[in-house]
Amino acid sequence: MERKNFLKSLFVGAISAPAVLAACSKEEADAVTPATSGTSGTTGGTTGSSSCAVAPTETEGPFPTKVPASYLRSDITDGRTGYKLTAKITITNSNNSCAALAGALVDIWHCDAQGNYSEYGGTGMQSTNYQSVHFLRGRQVTDANGQVTFTSIFPGWYSGRATHIHVHVYSATGTSLKVTQIAFPEGSGSAVAAVNGYSKGMSGYTSNATDNVFSDGVSLELATVTGSTAAGFELSITFAVPA
Amino acid sequence: MAHHERVITLCYRKIITSSSARPWEKLVFEDTYAEFRLQAQFYNPERRHRTFGELLHHAPGAEQLHFLVSAAARGYVQQLQGLVPDVVNNLGKHFLKFSQFQFEIINSDLQDPARHQVAISFYAEPLTWLDTIGSYLLVADQAAPAGGEVLTHLFQIQPYLSIHALHPPR
Repeated sequence: MERKNFLKSLFVGAISAPAVLAACSKEEADAVTPATSGTSGTTGGTTGSSSCAVAPTETEGPFPTKVPASYLRSDITDGRTGYKLTAKITITNSNNSCAALAGALVDIWHCDAQGNYSEYGGTGMQSTNYQSVHFLRGRQVTDANGQVTFTSIFPGWYSGRATHIHVHVYSATGTSLKVTQIAFPEGSGSAVAAVNGYSKGMSGYTSNATDNVFSDGVSLELATVTGSTAAGFELSITFAVPA
Repeated sequence: MAHHERVITLCYRKIITSSSARPWEKLVFEDTYAEFRLQAQFYNPERRHRTFGELLHHAPGAEQLHFLVSAAARGYVQQLQGLVPDVVNNLGKHFLKFSQFQFEIINSDLQDPARHQVAISFYAEPLTWLDTIGSYLLVADQAAPAGGEVLTHLFQIQPYLSIHALHPPR
């Protein structure tokens, strides 16, 4: 701080200047240092320990409260438009005669009608609005029947992949048990045919047989899908995981 | 005054580490570490890697962890009610409004929470930079009414607070 300039510049508020200067003089020799130390806790104020800025002098609050990750929800639509999809996923324990596995975390994510995932744009890591960024991603804890239910939209498709939903199952303590994907029945009369790729159509669509994830056989990943574009679709599938 | 009046976007990058002491910081620290440990497993199926740096270097797509882990911080960012933390004007009041933020993992370690460090960059709503008084900037909300008095804030640039963007004159 150059005190002369500072004084000169504050001529309009000379009465308040001494107090501000006193606050500054203690720390004015400090260099710029990372605000990683615990000092911010003692001042209750600015993390910049070196600056002469005044400390916050406001009524305490808002008080932080513990909140789960914004994934923890059953409706993952977040304003994305498309045909409604209700997904019922049942988790069983392959180490326990395929009995229902309660208390497991089930993460799902899928693309929107246009085939895009929620993510930071490219490698540039754009800033995002804090109100909503994690669309079509969600997490639920399985009930006593090993079941979770999500409300979403029917996924679109993108080049190189058949229609799919990603699933990651964790134990109650957070250990990864299974990373897999849900495949969709295709062909005439199927939901995939009814949705018809939304505005994209199906030209260039990758079928399950030629999809590089599903082409080795989809029997354990293929969901049952019923419903219509008018009424919405219901998906159900069971995954056995080693817990 | 008018000769250097311009519209700026300020960015404040808040660093949160194991030594961050305030309740909000501790919650963000703990929950983003737990989320990192969950989500990192997707990129580390054989558990060969231990640190975020190793994952970034070896595991394709691991840079998505910045975004994926940010979901654990988002609820806390919402609790700030649109006011950038820590940065106060010369009256000692928080005054910077934001709606945009960016979360990043600086470092982390699957086995040592003490090495977990994250940052949240808050991008403030545009401000009109009216004047510079010593080391202080005099700014006003951009949506100042035409005519009448313009309410202003006087504040000092401090570590981790920067001018992120200049906007073309209106």
